[in-house]
Amino acid sequence: MTGPAPADLDVTQARPSFWRNLSLVWLVPVIALAVSLGLAWNSFAQRGVLIEITFANASGILPGETTLRFRDVTIGTVEDVGFTPDLASVVVKARVNKEVAPFLDADAQFWVVSPKVSARGITGLSTVLSGVYIEGAWDKVAGTPLRSFIGRDAPPLVQPGREGKRITLISDNGRLLSEGAPVFFRGVEVGRLERPRLTVSTDMIVVDAFIEAPHDRRMNTATRFWDTSGFAVSLSGAGLSVDFDSLSSLVAGGVEFDSIYEGGTPVSPGYVYTVYPDESDARKSLFLRSTAASVDIAAEFGESVSGLEPGADVRLGGLKVGEVVAIAAQVQETEFGPELRPMARLAIEPDRLGLPRGAGREATLDFLETAVAAGLRAQLATTSLFSRALVVDLVNLADATPATFQRDAEPLPILPSAVSNLPDFTATAEGVFERINALPVEELIEQAINTLASVEAVARKDSMLALPDTVVALLEDARAVVNDEATRALPGEIRNAVGDLRATVREFDDSEAIAKLVGALEQVDSVATNLAQASQNVPTLVEELQAVAQKANALKAEDLVAAATRMLDSAEQVIGTEAARALPASLNAALDQVRGALSELRDGGAVENANATMASARDAADALAEAAAGLPDLSARLGRLAAQAETLLAAYGTRSDFNKETLSALREVRDAARAVSQLARALERDPGLLLRGR
Amino acid sequence: MENAGRPQEFLTARRAGLVGCRHCGVAHPAGTVRCSRCGSALASRDTRSLQHVWAWLVAGMIAFVPANIYPMLLTTTFGKTAENTIVGGAIDLLLHGEIAVAGIVFFASVVIPIGKFLAIGYLALSVRRPTAIRGHSRQRLYEVVEFIGRWSMIDVFVVAILTALVQLNFVAAINPGIAAICFALSVAFTMVSALSFDPKTLWDAYEADTA
Repeated sequence: MTGPAPADLDVTQARPSFWRNLSLVWLVPVIALAVSLGLAWNSFAQRGVLIEITFANASGILPGETTLRFRDVTIGTVEDVGFTPDLASVVVKARVNKEVAPFLDADAQFWVVSPKVSARGITGLSTVLSGVYIEGAWDKVAGTPLRSFIGRDAPPLVQPGREGKRITLISDNGRLLSEGAPVFFRGVEVGRLERPRLTVSTDMIVVDAFIEAPHDRRMNTATRFWDTSGFAVSLSGAGLSVDFDSLSSLVAGGVEFDSIYEGGTPVSPGYVYTVYPDESDARKSLFLRSTAASVDIAAEFGESVSGLEPGADVRLGGLKVGEVVAIAAQVQETEFGPELRPMARLAIEPDRLGLPRGAGREATLDFLETAVAAGLRAQLATTSLFSRALVVDLVNLADATPATFQRDAEPLPILPSAVSNLPDFTATAEGVFERINALPVEELIEQAINTLASVEAVARKDSMLALPDTVVALLEDARAVVNDEATRALPGEIRNAVGDLRATVREFDDSEAIAKLVGALEQVDSVATNLAQASQNVPTLVEELQAVAQKANALKAEDLVAAATRMLDSAEQVIGTEAARALPASLNAALDQVRGALSELRDGGAVENANATMASARDAADALAEAAAGLPDLSARLGRLAAQAETLLAAYGTRSDFNKETLSALREVRDAARAVSQLARALERDPGLLLRGR
Repeated sequence: MENAGRPQEFLTARRAGLVGCRHCGVAHPAGTVRCSRCGSALASRDTRSLQHVWAWLVAGMIAFVPANIYPMLLTTTFGKTAENTIVGGAIDLLLHGEIAVAGIVFFASVVIPIGKFLAIGYLALSVRRPTAIRGHSRQRLYEVVEFIGRWSMIDVFVVAILTALVQLNFVAAINPGIAAICFALSVAFTMVSALSFDPKTLWDAYEADTA
C-alpha cells in the first residue's frame, strides 16, 4: 500500500508570509484594546479637579459618598477627609467636574447642607435620608481658579451671583436683629440680614443686609429702615392697636423699609442706614436727616421759654412742620433801649407746609410773610396738662395785634409771636409742692407720736379706766331727766310759743307795714348819697383786702407748723404734768357734780322754770306784735319826711345848677353803688380774685 | 518503524492521505480543495485556528482589565450610590461574613477567567513546542475550558437579574456598571477563543512529541 508523502505537503505549506497569513480576527482584540483605552482615556479626561475645602468639622461627610453639588446638581464627590497639620480643622478633598473648575475662584463658597429647623422653616430635609452633602455657590464669571477653599458653617444668606444690593444697617439694639432675619418692603420679604456684629469703636450694632433685585431699586436716600420684630402694642386716641408682621419676624426679628418722602436719590451698595425702633420713629426721623432742606427762622417770645427745648416740635394746626433748633437770648433794640429777649430758632420744613416740592427758602419766606399778614403767630403751648415741655404752635389769630414778618432781620427772619395763655397751674402746683416739701413733717409726726404716747400713758391710769363707768351713770341720770314728765311737757310749751310768734308775724304781715317800709327804704336809698364819700374809700378797702390777702398768702406755713409743734409741745407738757395725770380724777369729780346738778335740776323743778320762761317769751311776742302795730305810723312819718325832702328839692327848680349837680352826683352815687355791688358779686363768685388782685 | 517506541500504532486520516469535510463528513483525498458534496472548503488542519485563538484570547484579556477596574454594580440606597467592583464586592461579602458566597463570586469571576486565559494560552503554546503535559491531559484541559466557559457568566447573570428586580426608585436601585459589559465581553471572547481552538493540532504536537 502506497500513500502520498505527507512530508511534501507540509513543506509546500510551511511558513507563508506572516502578514499575508494574518487573520482579520485580529481586529477584534485591536478594537477591544481601542475601546478599553478610549474608556480609560475618557474617565481620565473626565476625572475632575481635586479641590480642598477646610471645615471646622466634618459632620456627616463620608469619603466616596458625600457629593458636592451646585444648584442641586452633583458636580463632584468627596474623596478624602483629613485634618490640617495642626488638627485644627478638617480638610475635605473633593473632585469636581472639569467644567465647573474654572468658576471656582475667590468668591466660591462651600457649606454643608444638613437638616435644619428654624423659625423660618425646615431646610435640608432630604439630607435626613440621603446624608449630608456639600453645596457650593459661585458667580457666573470664571476667574482665577483656586484649589483650596474655606468652608462656611452655614449657607450664605446671599449666594454669589445673585443680583441685588448689599447695604449696611446700624442699630443700637442687637437683640432685635438676628442673622437671616427677613427684610420686608411693605410686608413682602425682599432680603435678608447677615450676622450682626458690634463695631469696635462704638457701641452700635452693624449688620449687613442684602436686598434682592429688583427690589434694591426701591432704596434711596429717602428710605428709612425700622424694626418690625416682636409686636407693638400702642394705645392712642384711635384705640388699642397690636401690630406684628409675621410669625417669622416675631421670633427671628426683621426690619422693614419704605421711602418716607418722595424724590430720594439712588444709593450705591454699602450705603449705611439707621434702623429705627418703629415706624413712627422712622417717619419722625425725617427731620433729623433733612434739616438741610429746611428754612431757619427765629421767633421771639415775650415770656418765659422755660420748658422749650431744642428738638421740640413746631406745629401748624397740630401737624409737625418743623422743630426748634436752638434757643438763645438775643439783644433786641426796642424804643426803651437794648433788651435781652429769648429767641427760638425754628427749622421749618417747606414740604410739610404743603409747599411744592423743591420750594426754596424764598418761597417759604413768601408764604410766611403772607401768612403773618393774615394773622399767623408763633405761640408757646404745652404738650399735656402735667408736662412742662413746650412746643411752638403756629396759630392763626384773627384778632392778633398787627405785626409783620421781619424778613430782613439779622441773623434770621423773625416770626412775630403771640402771648400764650399758658395756665400757671404747673407753677402754682409746684410752689405748693415745694412748700409741702419744706414742711417739717417728720418733726410734727414725732411730736404727735410723743403726744399720743403721753395720752396713752394718761389713758392707762386706773382713774381714767374708771371714767366710763362714771359716764354711764351720768348718761343714766340724763336719761332720767329726759324721761321726766315735766321735760316731756316742754316741747308742747315751745310749740305753743312758736304758734303765738307765728300769729304775731301774720298780724305784722297783714298790716301794710311792709309796703310802707319799702317806700321808706327807697327814700333811704337817696340818703345813700352820703355813701358817695364812703364809696371813694372802696378802692382803698380793696387794697387793704389785697394786703391782707397778701399777708395771708405770705403767712408762713412753717410758722404755723412750728406753732402747732409748740402747741403740741405745750400739750405734751400739760399732759405730762401731774395735774394732767390727776385730771381724770378731777373730771370724775366734775362729772359727779354735773350729775348732782342734774339731779337737782330734776328735783328742783328747773323744767317748770323753763316752761315759765317760754310763757314769758310768748308775752314778749305779744308785745312785739303791739310794737309792729305802731310801725305804720312810723312809716307814714318817714313818708312825709321824704315828701318834704322832695318838695324841698323841687324848690330849687329843675334847671338850677344845683339840681343838675345833685342829679349827676346822685347818678354817680348810683354808679358807684352799682360798682360796689358788682364788685361784691364778683367777690362772692370768685373770692380768689382778691388773692390774684384783679 | 518510526513509532517503534509507541505501545500502539494508529492510523490518522492525514497519514492515510485523506481529508474529511468538517460539515458533512465526506472523506476526500488529500489535496482536494472543495467538498464534492456540500462544496465547503476542505483543509486537513485549520491553519488559521491558532491565530483566531490568540486574537480572541487577547481581546478577552483586554476586556478583562476594565471589567475589574470599573464598577460592576451601582447600588443606590436612599440617595446614596455605592459602586462595587468585582473584587471589591467579593471583599465586602467577605467582610460581612459571607465566606461561601464570597468564595463563589471570587472563584467564578476572578479565578475561572484567569484560569481560562492561562489554560488557553498554554494550549495554544503547546501546539508549537514540547510541553510537560501529555496528550490526553491536554485534551481534557481543553474540554474543561470549553465546558466551564459559560459558567463564568454567572456574575453577569446576577447583575442582569438584580438590575431587573431592584428598581425601587429612591429606596433602592441597582444598575449595571460598565464593568458588567466588559466582563461579559471578556467571557464571550474567551469562549470564542476556546471554540476556535482546533484540538487536532494538540495531537499533531503529541505526535511530534512522540515521533
